[in-house]
Amino acid sequence: MPQPTSRRQFLARAAILAASAPTLGAFLQACSKNAPSSSQPTMTIAAPDNPVTWPIADDNKPIADGLAPEKGATLKIYNYADYLSPQAIKAFEDQYAIKIEVSTFNDGDEAITKLRSGVDFDIYNANYTEISRLVNGGLLRPLNHSYIPNIKNVWPGFTNPWYDQEWRYTVPYTIYTTGIGWRSDQVPADIGALKNPYDSLWDPQYKGKTAVLDDFHSAMAMVLLRQGITDVNTSSEADLKMVGEQLNALVKATSPKVTITMYNDLPAGQLGLAQMWSGDIINAQSYLPEGTGPEILRYWFPSDGKGMVDNDMLVTLKGGKNPVLAHLFINQMLEPEVAKENFSAIGYQPPQNSITPDSLVKEEFIPENLRSAIVKPEYFDTGYRLLELDPTNEAAWRNVWQAFNAGGS
Amino acid sequence: MAVPVIAAPSRSDGPRRQRSSGIWPALAAPGIIWLAACFVFPLYVVLCIVFGQIDPLFRTPVPVWNPLQWDPTQFTYVLTHIVGTHGVFGPPLLRTAVYVLTASALCLLIAFPVAYYVARLSGKRKGLLLALLIAPFWISYMMRMFAWVNLLQNDGIVNKVLTFGGLFNVHVDWLTGQPVVVILGLVYGYVPYMILPLYAGLDRLSQPMLEASRDLGADRFSSFWRVTLPLCRPTIVAAVLLTCLPMLGDYFTNDMLSASPKTTMVGNLINDGVQAPGQTGQAGAFVMLVFLVALLPMLYYIRVTSRGSEVST
Repeated sequence: MPQPTSRRQFLARAAILAASAPTLGAFLQACSKNAPSSSQPTMTIAAPDNPVTWPIADDNKPIADGLAPEKGATLKIYNYADYLSPQAIKAFEDQYAIKIEVSTFNDGDEAITKLRSGVDFDIYNANYTEISRLVNGGLLRPLNHSYIPNIKNVWPGFTNPWYDQEWRYTVPYTIYTTGIGWRSDQVPADIGALKNPYDSLWDPQYKGKTAVLDDFHSAMAMVLLRQGITDVNTSSEADLKMVGEQLNALVKATSPKVTITMYNDLPAGQLGLAQMWSGDIINAQSYLPEGTGPEILRYWFPSDGKGMVDNDMLVTLKGGKNPVLAHLFINQMLEPEVAKENFSAIGYQPPQNSITPDSLVKEEFIPENLRSAIVKPEYFDTGYRLLELDPTNEAAWRNVWQAFNAGGS
Repeated sequence: MAVPVIAAPSRSDGPRRQRSSGIWPALAAPGIIWLAACFVFPLYVVLCIVFGQIDPLFRTPVPVWNPLQWDPTQFTYVLTHIVGTHGVFGPPLLRTAVYVLTASALCLLIAFPVAYYVARLSGKRKGLLLALLIAPFWISYMMRMFAWVNLLQNDGIVNKVLTFGGLFNVHVDWLTGQPVVVILGLVYGYVPYMILPLYAGLDRLSQPMLEASRDLGADRFSSFWRVTLPLCRPTIVAAVLLTCLPMLGDYFTNDMLSASPKTTMVGNLINDGVQAPGQTGQAGAFVMLVFLVALLPMLYYIRVTSRGSEVST
């Protein structure tokens, strides 16, 4: 028989363990990179009426001019799924004899958490609601403009944007509006002609057919707009309380899906009516099953432009190992031909001078029934922008969103 | 039939084994190290995050390693939002309990007869049936759920069958917030995990005991009720636990088959919390709650099995 540990032995070993425990704590403390800092940093929040020129740190200068692209490298891109044309990737790979590796994320939150963990992605698809954190957190590499002559091809409003004056860190990638998409076969009513089209998502007759975007800011801002509140970045407690109540009412009325896969679920017939990004309804055309034509797809965005309008950006990351290739790739994406091909592959419009609302209609690039999904330059003057929220306000927003996601009673 | 003769182990082995007693702790060491590194330590990390701080800029969790500096804000936020006027977490917690209990009961109803048949009545086909039972494990859980998405979508086979080829006008939106579908997904996903332990238990059920009950006059039913079932109780408890515990943390089934807030389970709260900056601590608090709830049936299991071994010896 094996000899069992005696009581005395056990006590002795336990004592040794207990004695070593405090040192374990100190050891772990030493390991943790990000100890809580005592001072609360103030966050600069860029806004159209508060343009920001982000500083360039001494230890994080742009790369030098005229460097040769890295050889035999693997360019790592961190992006949303289905948000970059395979053809654009292939062309770049062939031109420079390198490999491109695309990793994907579901939302910006997930992305930033991963970026902070110290990964070596070269290019990231950012949104300006992250820019302050990205720059202040030292995650971005400033751009060297000499590698990106194609910036001349983008809409003038984006060559010196309010969220990144002098485009020190970012180039614009896509522009989109946030509205409502529906299928005319499942939802015969003309949603766009309703007095308040947002109300349709609360209409019990569409129960089990609807969805809202799984993005706390876009979905909650939609509730604010429905109520005629145009400050979509509000810090008013009363407004947020109202949003919470409205979201509860939404669950009770239509039990919506909370997802970002409308571009697939709507054409597949799972959804009939959904809050959608304009790029997703254009993209939805290519997900329609055989025998269903694109003419059933509809999209509404306020024709006066008073809705949510936003843009995504491409940035290079400080941790990337191939900064030259990263610059060249960004430059390639701003090439008119590439940008247009990318548009047809992903459904999201680039702010290119060669692509105007008129040209899209004339070339029948967008079918008649989806004209409302075309993003017009003037929307950026009249529309509402989701801005970065300060940490306290963001916590308040997220708590409301979490309560909604918990589903109520 | 020739009975193979197995030599009884010689008794003289005993003292020699005692002399080399250092080998037993050595053999146990990997297991203990494994438990410490992959269970106790992660649990401590979860605690450090639950009671830790939040990075002021990125709102990512900052674990606090020293228990004396722990800050209970996030934990109390969760606790105070379970019931009462701010009781947003109560419904999903209750819902999880209902879903998991219902699904486990259904699993047991399906799995027990199957396991009983395979273990005791299938005769020569036992090997084949066992292989078929293990077959679902070959296909990933995600693929199996995708299959259900296909079957249940609006123009899927289920709706087509229900219309009897267009005879009736049936149109059920199965995949948008139907609790029944989520429970069905759980049952379907976890029933193999129930069948295998049940099979193992039923297979080694003491044959002499059953024969004795029949000899002593019990009919088939009462022999099953008064002998088989009580003997199986530890097995049943183990099988139910094996399915219940992963179901408690399941978020994926709900994401695939519903994705509506109406069917949110605690696993979804944890998953959402981990991904939402600033809420990782709350996710950790839910992990602790699930852990505590799961601990109770585990203790019951330990009691049942220890009593079971008392009976059998």
